[in-house]
Amino acid sequence: MTGAFAQIWPNRVFYLFVLPFAALTILFGVWPILLSIQISFTASASALRAAPSYVGLANYAAVFADPLFIASLSRTLVYTVLAVVANLAFALAVATLLDSTLLERANLFFRLAIFLPVVTPDVAGYVVWRWLFDRSFGAVNAALSALDLPGFGGLSSINTVTASILIAELWHHAGFYMLIFLANLAIRDRALEEAAAIDGATSWQRWRWVVLPQLRPALVINIVYATIQFLKTFTVVVVMTKGGPNDHTNFVSYYAYQLFDQGRYGEATAMATILFALVIGLSLTAYRIGDKAAWR
Amino acid sequence: MSAAPRSWAQVLAYGAALVISVLFLYPYWWMLVSAFRTTRAVMTDPLRLLPEAFDLGILGEIARIGGVQLWVYVANSFAITGASTLLGVTVTALGAYALVRKPDLPGFTLLRYGFLVTIMYPYMLLVIPVYVVMFKLGLLGSYAGIVLFLALGPIQFFLFEQFFRAIPKEVIEAGVMDGASEAAILFRIVLPMAMPVTATVTLVTFLLNWSQWFPVLVFSKTPESYTLPVALLAMNTELGANFQGIMALAVITTLPVAIVFLVAQKRVMQGMAAGAVKG
Repeated sequence: MTGAFAQIWPNRVFYLFVLPFAALTILFGVWPILLSIQISFTASASALRAAPSYVGLANYAAVFADPLFIASLSRTLVYTVLAVVANLAFALAVATLLDSTLLERANLFFRLAIFLPVVTPDVAGYVVWRWLFDRSFGAVNAALSALDLPGFGGLSSINTVTASILIAELWHHAGFYMLIFLANLAIRDRALEEAAAIDGATSWQRWRWVVLPQLRPALVINIVYATIQFLKTFTVVVVMTKGGPNDHTNFVSYYAYQLFDQGRYGEATAMATILFALVIGLSLTAYRIGDKAAWR
Repeated sequence: MSAAPRSWAQVLAYGAALVISVLFLYPYWWMLVSAFRTTRAVMTDPLRLLPEAFDLGILGEIARIGGVQLWVYVANSFAITGASTLLGVTVTALGAYALVRKPDLPGFTLLRYGFLVTIMYPYMLLVIPVYVVMFKLGLLGSYAGIVLFLALGPIQFFLFEQFFRAIPKEVIEAGVMDGASEAAILFRIVLPMAMPVTATVTLVTFLLNWSQWFPVLVFSKTPESYTLPVALLAMNTELGANFQGIMALAVITTLPVAIVFLVAQKRVMQGMAAGAVKG
């Protein structure tokens, strides 16, 4: 005890510096997370009372026995994989394009155009996309019919709703991943490519075997960020689909929120804990896989 | 390399970049044009590239939304975003500085892990237990509650942490040798050096907090404390939605951040890339 105090007292000014940060982290981070985990072990009806009744793992059992939750969870995982692959492939392709010496003029304009949606309020962006996909107002179907192409079901058909929100989310997020790739491309060792060119490597070979391995740090960061991002997909669902049609976009975070709204606190917080465990588990896995894959 | 393939490749590259950029910018153009056109006109010709007339009449129609004056939402957005940005930058700078200078002090490692776990937690699901905490603290429905919750964020913390770590030890040790107090070291030596990073963090925080909607919605008791994105969401959810009004409100919600971003684009893009790379 005295040992800790002897260390703390001379450094009290640092505790003063850190105090507001610590207070906010505890009040709006650590405490509510612990509270949420606690509520997940209580009966919903008593969850917010002073003396809640504990039900052990009953909420978790109920959640895993709920076919809607299992369907929601598998949809969330499939969507996450699709979104991560689509966003990172697109971002990598665009970053490679914009980094090439072919595009010296107007380069900043292209970067700004693709990055602007990242800082655009997501609600505003998704509201506009919702109406762009609309059958009677939307520019998407009007453009397709002007080009004599078949119509696009947009948000009203179960066949196209996933693609629709994927497009809207790619528009909002891909610029960020592009930025990370561009930052990494800017610091790579260009002498290696010159050496490979002298050895007769084609442009594709230079990109695949010389440039891509150097993008390992950006790839790892982007995979981890995108995995966390898309596992938590929420705003796009609230704005564009409300989980529909036919529960087709009812991802875990939205489903849990609906249960919370209905006062089913125990199950909602159990789902929150499960999603939290998934986010941590999958992003660590993504980190490992990303770390290895890019080595080859 | 011969000139011909290079110019062909160049044409292709410019073509691709141009098509992608136009597709990314088109939603903004469509939103802007639709804000000037009547709902009926958009239905007959959704693709029109210019409005029939530059009619600002829609502003009169959305002067009140959900029983609250439009200017209240605008004022709320600036007040809540401004206050949470100032508070967040100050609190995060001090906190990150202390954690970097003395990482081994009792409790500091634990605090850092607590913060990292918080930013990993699904955001929308964190807001729900925070609602309970706000209720217990009596902060529900107050501006203070919203501002306090929005103050902390990962990019802000990582940018400051990265900057403070990069300060050479000799600089601070020189201050210690001269007998300067820790407060003097912070305010006279470190913070003047940190002005550029502070400007970057302020910009990025402002842009991120302007977009926040879910905490504002959940912690508000009435629409009186809604910000622009929340008002936009509420309007979009109404039955028999006023399409032209929604597009006009989307323009008003987007315009301030678009201007700030375009004016300070270099700093914003560098800041967001650096903050992410550290995380």
